[in-house]
Amino acid sequence: MSVLIIIFLTAVAALFAGVFEQGKFSRYIGIAGIIIAFYVSFLPELEFFSQYKSMFEYGLNAALFTKISLVITLLIFFLGGFAFSNHRSHQSELYALMLFSLCGGIVLFGFQNLVTLFLGIEILSIPLYVLAGSNKSDLRSNEASIKYFLMGAFATGFLLFGIALIYGSSSSFDLYKIHEFSMANPKNIMFTMGAVLVMVALAFKVSLAPFHMWSPDVYQGSPSLITAFMMSTVKISAFYAFFKMMSIGFLGINAEWINIMGVLIIITLFLANVMGLAQSNAKRMLAYSSVSHVGYLALIFFGLNNLSVYNLAFYLFAYSLATIGVMMCLIYVEKLKRETSYNAFKGLAQSEPILAVTAAISMLSMAGIPLTAGFMGKFGIFAQAITDTPFLVIVAILGSAISIAYYLRLIMVMFFPKESSFKTTEKVTLTYNIVAVFVVFAIIALGIFPDLFARQFGL
Amino acid sequence: MSYLLLTLLLLPLVGSALVFAWKNPASKFLALGIAFVQMFLTFYMLSDFDFKPTVDSVLQHEINYPWMRFINTQLHFGVDGMSLLLLLLTNILTPLIILSSFNEKPGYRNTFYGLILLMQFGLIGVFTALDGLLFYIFWEVTLIPIWLIAGIWGQENKKIQFTTRFFVYTFVGSLFMLVGLIYVYTNSASFALTDLYNADLSATQQTVVFWFIFFAFAVKLPVFPFHSWQSDTYTYSPTQGSMLLSGIMLKMAIYGLLRWLLPITPSPILGVSGQIVVVLAIISVVHGALIAIIQNDSKRLIAYSSLSHVGLMVAGIMASAILTMKGTLTITGGEGALVQTFAHGINVVGLFYCADILFKRFKTRDIRKMGGLAKVAPKFAVLFMVILLGSIALPLTNGFIGEFILIKSIFDYSILAAVIAGTTMIFSSVYLFRFFGKSMLGKGDDAVLASASDLSAVEFTVLSSLVVFVIVLGIFPQPILDLVNSSLKFIFTSMLN
Repeated sequence: MSVLIIIFLTAVAALFAGVFEQGKFSRYIGIAGIIIAFYVSFLPELEFFSQYKSMFEYGLNAALFTKISLVITLLIFFLGGFAFSNHRSHQSELYALMLFSLCGGIVLFGFQNLVTLFLGIEILSIPLYVLAGSNKSDLRSNEASIKYFLMGAFATGFLLFGIALIYGSSSSFDLYKIHEFSMANPKNIMFTMGAVLVMVALAFKVSLAPFHMWSPDVYQGSPSLITAFMMSTVKISAFYAFFKMMSIGFLGINAEWINIMGVLIIITLFLANVMGLAQSNAKRMLAYSSVSHVGYLALIFFGLNNLSVYNLAFYLFAYSLATIGVMMCLIYVEKLKRETSYNAFKGLAQSEPILAVTAAISMLSMAGIPLTAGFMGKFGIFAQAITDTPFLVIVAILGSAISIAYYLRLIMVMFFPKESSFKTTEKVTLTYNIVAVFVVFAIIALGIFPDLFARQFGL
Repeated sequence: MSYLLLTLLLLPLVGSALVFAWKNPASKFLALGIAFVQMFLTFYMLSDFDFKPTVDSVLQHEINYPWMRFINTQLHFGVDGMSLLLLLLTNILTPLIILSSFNEKPGYRNTFYGLILLMQFGLIGVFTALDGLLFYIFWEVTLIPIWLIAGIWGQENKKIQFTTRFFVYTFVGSLFMLVGLIYVYTNSASFALTDLYNADLSATQQTVVFWFIFFAFAVKLPVFPFHSWQSDTYTYSPTQGSMLLSGIMLKMAIYGLLRWLLPITPSPILGVSGQIVVVLAIISVVHGALIAIIQNDSKRLIAYSSLSHVGLMVAGIMASAILTMKGTLTITGGEGALVQTFAHGINVVGLFYCADILFKRFKTRDIRKMGGLAKVAPKFAVLFMVILLGSIALPLTNGFIGEFILIKSIFDYSILAAVIAGTTMIFSSVYLFRFFGKSMLGKGDDAVLASASDLSAVEFTVLSSLVVFVIVLGIFPQPILDLVNSSLKFIFTSMLN
């Protein structure tokens, strides 16, 4: 909980920097706060906080996911200087809201009680509704904000209704009491209905098809760095909450929801990948690719074992790194060309080779080409799911086969033309290049020695 | 731990990093130097190589380290006779391929040579990996550099289309292989080669896994009906790309078939699956040859001839495998396929280079528009002829030994199949002599011929080196047979267990 408090205080400090019209410092405050929080996240939890254990517990898994999302958020903050350089006046709000959202994420990592789950989801989402609309003058950004808010509010309704039904049948909010209840009563109708409603709400948050309808519009409309934040940090938090709820709380009624999950996965993988193929805008393509990755992630529910959490964390980390790698390239192109169609990337490798290589390696990682972290992530999840449902793994394989085509399109546009379409070259900042090199290095290092992940995050 | 093997593995990787970093036209000499060092190291390895040990015992050159905590897999590389043959092929051809690009105008950028070295790294990994996951990883790693080579330097108006088709096709195949390997892994002790051989799979499971893994190889080889990517890719890639693809890369699949498929899933070979593969392979033989006869595009002609020759190798391997499963241990198919692997690698690289030389002289790939070059380029005519004869499998050339053993092994299995597959010898002389006749003999365009020159020094060096191999291996094929004998015996006996 100390991490949570540090991040919260950082967010308040970043916000107040804006109040005193020192918005340019917000980013540095945020970076400093995240680094401190990252250090603290390795320390054991203070004894004092154990009295809140029934609501929030900073256990091993919570620590692991907290560390991952802190690293990813830190990278995003580093990119902020370049990405938000035309947002002169309102920078502090952006950083503060991202930090608040991160607080919600951390709450989700340690939730022990459905009330904390609900609070976490709301703290995570409400700043995002604002962030999505932070490009006030852009119509698409406004649309994204409204759409996200309305749909999100609806999903919250589902979540609350589900929680109510669960409480009604099991007479408890506590995750482990619910777990025991589900083990003892695998056929309780009211409980099952509640579980399915919670599942729908959380599937909405992680954008598992067919509850993904909001995500392409929201991801495309939001400012690109915010999109990267939503695709990475937010997805890590939401998916872990989803995973924890389903695999602990509703484990006993596994037979009731596992088939629904299978169908959702099949829909997600085909729909998202085929739609991704049909896009002509790189940002929207990445939005669909992000949806499709939830499809692969959800395979984690099949053949659950002790390593599932580790596999999940690895995949989420690999995917988030790759997302940042592609998005930083996209931010650069968007800034120069004011659009993100495939053609805008034409010949990027000639003028900005570092960014182009970063984006290419990131996309190859997303597609699951060996020697990248994405391959190891996919491998772990497939190897687990194949023991239970080989059929779904084949579906996932076909999904990746479709997905490679749209990743390739973007890589080809960047590398194959003989000359660059970038006439005015605005050079990126040094921080930007350092982040790019770090992302490439991390993706390849994790692809060759996946054990580094366990070692770095203290497993 | 063998430092020699480690050097062989890492030198191309380090070399490619250096070449990528050094943005200078002279970096091509660095690449060539590294490739030559690599070749000498391979010959050095051959000089005191012990042919006897097989992969289940202690190999002479081996690297073995634990790799991942949660997956039962090792960083396990090793060289037995069969690996060494493929290493020799890779490391002899790579310097020649690099050298062959030197008279290109304008010259290639440093990235081109970096990618070739990266490709070499992947290939060496594939041929030495003794761990299923490692094999898959290197298998996939080879795809990226060749795709970039084909895409960046390929024929301008076609490259988006054919590179996408090539990449997606082979990637889908590899993914199926991955699923197959994971499935075998979940039923065995670890990813180690020998553990995968001993995996506990029922006959039905073996059949499914067989087709999943075979799919990857069938695409890469390619075998009918998975060959539709091949002709475009070979035709529109830059010459060096076509050489890498056909000379070395498709040999990965022959190697994979022997080492990674047959011993892991032996039972379907005896059933209908094995027969289907033989039939598909023989269809490739005839289909490829017939289409090659009517081709007018020189590179496309070579692509189809490659389809035909590869089909024969697969048919030979499968014929021997089926006989072995029936109870009589036969390794002739494997021997023939490996001899032919080496020979075909040399010949097809030579043919693609000849096509490139012709293209430089006539500025077209259409053989109907060529003619009469033999008069002005006698040296080229002779060298071209020798390589051609090697491809046709004339006695005393390298192609003859391989094809002869292959047809013998198919004959042992079925006389009818051998008769049909044997037509390749007739057909190949038809299309290759037609190629030679149209391009070198007859009456050519005098204006073009007046400006055409004989071979340059670079061209002469590359072609004559290849010709040396064509003749020497045609007269003394025994070293190759000795090299692979014990590896093949091990592979075919493990099928029976």
